[in-house]
Amino acid sequence: MARPSAPDRLRRLLALVPWVVAHDGPTLEEVCARFGLSQDELVAELDLVFLCGVHPFTPDSLIDVAVADGRVWIRYADYLERPLRLTPDEGLALVAAGTAVLTVPGADPDGPLARGLAKLAGVLGVDPAADLDVTLGTAPAGVLESLQEAVAAGRAVEIDYYTYGRDQRTRRMVDPHSVFAAEGQWYLEAWCHLAEAERRFRLDRIGSLSVLDRPAARPHPGAAPDEDALATATVEGPGRRVFDPRPDDPRVVLELEPRARWVAEQYPLEGLEELGGGRCRVVLVASERAWLERLLLRLGPSARVVEGAEGVASAAAARILAHYR
Amino acid sequence: MASRLERLLNLTAALLTATRPLTREEIFERVPGYPADDVKGSARRAFERDKEALREMGIPLATEEILGSEPPQEGYRIPRDQYALRDPGLEPDELAALHLAAAAVRLEGLRGTEALWKLGGSVPRRSAIAAPPDEALAAIPTIPQLVPLFVAVGERRPVAFSYRGRRRSVDPHRLSFTRGRWYLDGHDHDRGAPRQFRLDRVDGEVELGPAGSYERPTGPTGHAPRPWEMGDEAPLEARVRIDADLAGWGVDHLGPEVVRERHADGSVEVVLTVTNREAFRSFVLGFLDHAEVLGPPELRDDLMGWLAALAG
Repeated sequence: MARPSAPDRLRRLLALVPWVVAHDGPTLEEVCARFGLSQDELVAELDLVFLCGVHPFTPDSLIDVAVADGRVWIRYADYLERPLRLTPDEGLALVAAGTAVLTVPGADPDGPLARGLAKLAGVLGVDPAADLDVTLGTAPAGVLESLQEAVAAGRAVEIDYYTYGRDQRTRRMVDPHSVFAAEGQWYLEAWCHLAEAERRFRLDRIGSLSVLDRPAARPHPGAAPDEDALATATVEGPGRRVFDPRPDDPRVVLELEPRARWVAEQYPLEGLEELGGGRCRVVLVASERAWLERLLLRLGPSARVVEGAEGVASAAAARILAHYR
Repeated sequence: MASRLERLLNLTAALLTATRPLTREEIFERVPGYPADDVKGSARRAFERDKEALREMGIPLATEEILGSEPPQEGYRIPRDQYALRDPGLEPDELAALHLAAAAVRLEGLRGTEALWKLGGSVPRRSAIAAPPDEALAAIPTIPQLVPLFVAVGERRPVAFSYRGRRRSVDPHRLSFTRGRWYLDGHDHDRGAPRQFRLDRVDGEVELGPAGSYERPTGPTGHAPRPWEMGDEAPLEARVRIDADLAGWGVDHLGPEVVRERHADGSVEVVLTVTNREAFRSFVLGFLDHAEVLGPPELRDDLMGWLAALAG
């Protein structure tokens, strides 16, 4: 690992020194643990602090550092008795992370996080309830907690899953490996015994879930494809791409009116051609018929199918219309 | 010769303890480590770099004209009241909970866990706190305008920015991250009405006006408006039946308060307030065969007409 730069080390010292000043001889171990340093690194930083102070650098104007019996004291640094204020981006990072975790189903609204967040927000002059709202995703009550417990305990689960892309509901046993949020949704990565492959599932499409008395197999290497073969975005999640088209997935070519332009922004495109006047022709990967039906039904007359989906919209419209008659 | 870190720490100490602004020459005298021979301006350049480094880490390094200096000279100091973090008085369990949250949810490009150093660092894990997850639970994308807008919301500063090619001036009320995107809610001065802005459509820099320019809105801060509530049409109470297959999913998304009736076959009837018919139609069509608009007739006929035109 590269040695941190002088400003990065100063950033840490301007927090570490006030903390040690405020405590009566904390152990070197505790200081290391709190500020992410090894003992050797800490000793090197303290040796340097020992040389610092204010003009004229006589002994009483130097910061005094004393180390004895594995404990450390810092004196003559009154001007560093308080840590540097939080910068706006640090404040945002903490308040947003705290707010996000509080919206996770199962979070305790009166627990230590909520109390700590309220105190921090007070110092920053923000009102987390009114100023900021961070929703990582929606999940049915209990599903997220049960899955997190199953992952931690290494247990298999049975889920009732609605595959949006195929408009189909199935029961399947899965070995859950990880639960995470990306793109405003909660996801589960698991080995699916029905598909006999690694799969990614959206938590909001899990209808019911039971944790089984059966150990889960270890994760298989390699990326898990989305069970909903077509997710709605390409933006990267936490190091994971949510949608990966396969070369043999069917493609459709659509001509879009200006009002349907959002399609070109919303979905991964394999081709985009401007037709003038705000109209464009796009090539989309549409591996699942139900996904394509939804898209064409919503677009109606503002999209024209050029290739690959002839008759899909009219058949779907007639089928749904039959429920109304 | 002193290391750069030593010089930076001494510079911070000198400026924090200064009772009046110090000139650059005074700083060179009081802080060891600047090149002694300034003929080629190397000390000046070093000082410029140091100033920038301190400001970048959030130190409020002030530049002030020194009174009575002739010719006028600039002086530097760090006002202690602006420098210091007010103690939020966090209990160890509260600090630990914040630390876990910052480890679990990362805002890309922002320093979350390092910010916790200032609050006392990470609490050594001897308490009965669950181990943090091996990997982040979520990473939230950020955009450059997010931090200035967060400052503006907190300090009630009006903002101006370019939005899809047009200049907008807004009293920002609330930032929200939902469905994978950042949004700003606020009062749009050009429209004279509340509006929601998608932050990925803001171009360039955000200009901030003076602090405390308006009151924080007090009304209920309920849920973010749904697409079918974001319109100017006369409101209609739509009744929609969602079948058993998707009833659970629908209620999770819409909230239990919209449910009017639960049927024995597992289906539910929900009531939605619609002021944007097009968005409502899109929402219902997303259910394919699993939802039916029961009423009022305007909305049911609208959907049937749309489907009939497509069915050909």
